[in-house]
Amino acid sequence: MTDTDPPLLEVENVSKSFGGVQALRSGSFKLDRREVIAVVGANGAGKSTLIKTVAGVYPPDSGEIRIKGKPIDLHDHSISRVREHGIEVVYQDLALVPNMSAPYNLFLGRTPRKWGIFVDEKFMRTKTREVFDQLNVKTVQDLARPISDLSGGQQQSIAIGRAIAWGKEIVILDEPTAALGPNETTVVESMVEEVRDTHGTSFILISHNLDQVQRLADRIIVIHHGITSQEFRRGEVTAQRLVRAITLGE
Amino acid sequence: MNDANATANDSGFLTPRRMEKIRDYVPFIAISLVILMFWAISGDRFMSIRNWTFIAQQTPVLMLLAFAQLMVVTTGSIDISIGSNLAFSAFFGALGMLWFGDVGLALGVAAGALVGMINGLVISLLKIPSFVTTLAMLIMVRAVVIIISDGTSIYMTDGRVSGGTNISSVAAPWLLSMGKFPAIFIVAAVVAVLMWIFYEKTHFGQQLKAVGGNERVLRLMGINVTAFKIKVFAAAGVMVGIAACVNLARAGAATPQAGLMIELDAIAAVALGGTPLTGGYGSVVNTIIGALTLTIVRNGLTIAGVPPSWSQVALGALLIAAIAISLNRARIDVVK
Repeated sequence: MTDTDPPLLEVENVSKSFGGVQALRSGSFKLDRREVIAVVGANGAGKSTLIKTVAGVYPPDSGEIRIKGKPIDLHDHSISRVREHGIEVVYQDLALVPNMSAPYNLFLGRTPRKWGIFVDEKFMRTKTREVFDQLNVKTVQDLARPISDLSGGQQQSIAIGRAIAWGKEIVILDEPTAALGPNETTVVESMVEEVRDTHGTSFILISHNLDQVQRLADRIIVIHHGITSQEFRRGEVTAQRLVRAITLGE
Repeated sequence: MNDANATANDSGFLTPRRMEKIRDYVPFIAISLVILMFWAISGDRFMSIRNWTFIAQQTPVLMLLAFAQLMVVTTGSIDISIGSNLAFSAFFGALGMLWFGDVGLALGVAAGALVGMINGLVISLLKIPSFVTTLAMLIMVRAVVIIISDGTSIYMTDGRVSGGTNISSVAAPWLLSMGKFPAIFIVAAVVAVLMWIFYEKTHFGQQLKAVGGNERVLRLMGINVTAFKIKVFAAAGVMVGIAACVNLARAGAATPQAGLMIELDAIAAVALGGTPLTGGYGSVVNTIIGALTLTIVRNGLTIAGVPPSWSQVALGALLIAAIAISLNRARIDVVK
């Protein structure tokens, strides 16, 4: 990347209302290549709305979103379009289909086909193995089993694996370790760092775990009452200062 | 990621996975027991070639309707309009033959697809639950058939007799011969193989299971579930249309009362095949066995001299028993 390159993602004054409730008043941030940023805020502050708006789940009411400097048409801002730009999301509830196998979940919405109608199961299994090998996931052995038979940690691996497999540019992690134990949390954090270093992927992390945020994020964006109010660089903010920014907006 | 718990339960003989496998065989066990039971009760009268030929003629229509239901049920929806759609499609198939000759039979399949598509459009776009939508269609479509037909039937003839002034008839000896064994059996077998390939190996078939598993997730992955559900109901309608043509061949007439209450048999066949009505998975082979089991039980009870009302009681009890055995209660949190 050169100094003249535009940021990978720029979000400017994006707003979103649901009925009479303004969930997001003005969300703005920038994300560079190989960067991990964290979005923190109290419950109901607008973190999820901001992220889901960027991810194309909700069309924004106003504002501007630019990817690699190019503004995207907000009227044509959908999940499919966002995925085409190499942006993937790991949702808090993982967004997996429990009755389907790991390869099907990995290829959800991108099922490879033979002769236009048949599922290319062999290719799916091979690619799934590749992704799991890359991420050092050893425990998901039986790729034919429905993922409801797997543990929470294994399901998390599949959700993250899917995002990393397709999210070549940006992976958005919404509370990625909220349901995990300490060991599995460490594995997820190492995975994020490794993928950033080896693939150059950028990450947007939403987390309530301020220790984790301070460990992983290069920059921390604070959202308060639907407005991205403050921004801190790694190491320049204490946990207490961060709590004040989150709760009081100071 | 390490996870020791993943295989912690996989010890002992009756592991959850083995139980799952055993449940898969419940439809096979049920049909075997049913055959053995009626063999013991009625002996050669039940096991005669003549009787099995009769069963082979009786099952295809129900089986095809059960396939239609299987597609819809796998997505977690239900279609209770298929009986009325059968009458509607058969009527338009017969009308098509009156108007355009033999190729006009295709109008029956198109009519089935149309009803299915309307179901899908109302459910997906107006967001009215499938049960309510198809209940309304069950009533409306049956009424439309009665209005259009004026309560009369269209008969298929072998060409040697001509219709009277009040009776519409079409000379279609080929169609009548298709309704007899072994032709009807061959047609059903071909459709069954195609359905298996469609359900198990195609992208569409896998998507049916994924929608039934978690529709919201598919939306989050950018899949147009609304359009897909319209296609599912239309595909089910096509299958009903094919069933209507087979029924026309077997019964030799398109009557306004055709397929009355048969939707319940189709749902029962799917359930007997171990497909949960909540969707997510299903099996074409087990659905065939479900349809066959229903036909055999009806046939066996009739041969054994059981009055029709008691036959219904026995069928209901069989349905509950088969589902009770095949259900994996560990995966069910709430029953509504």
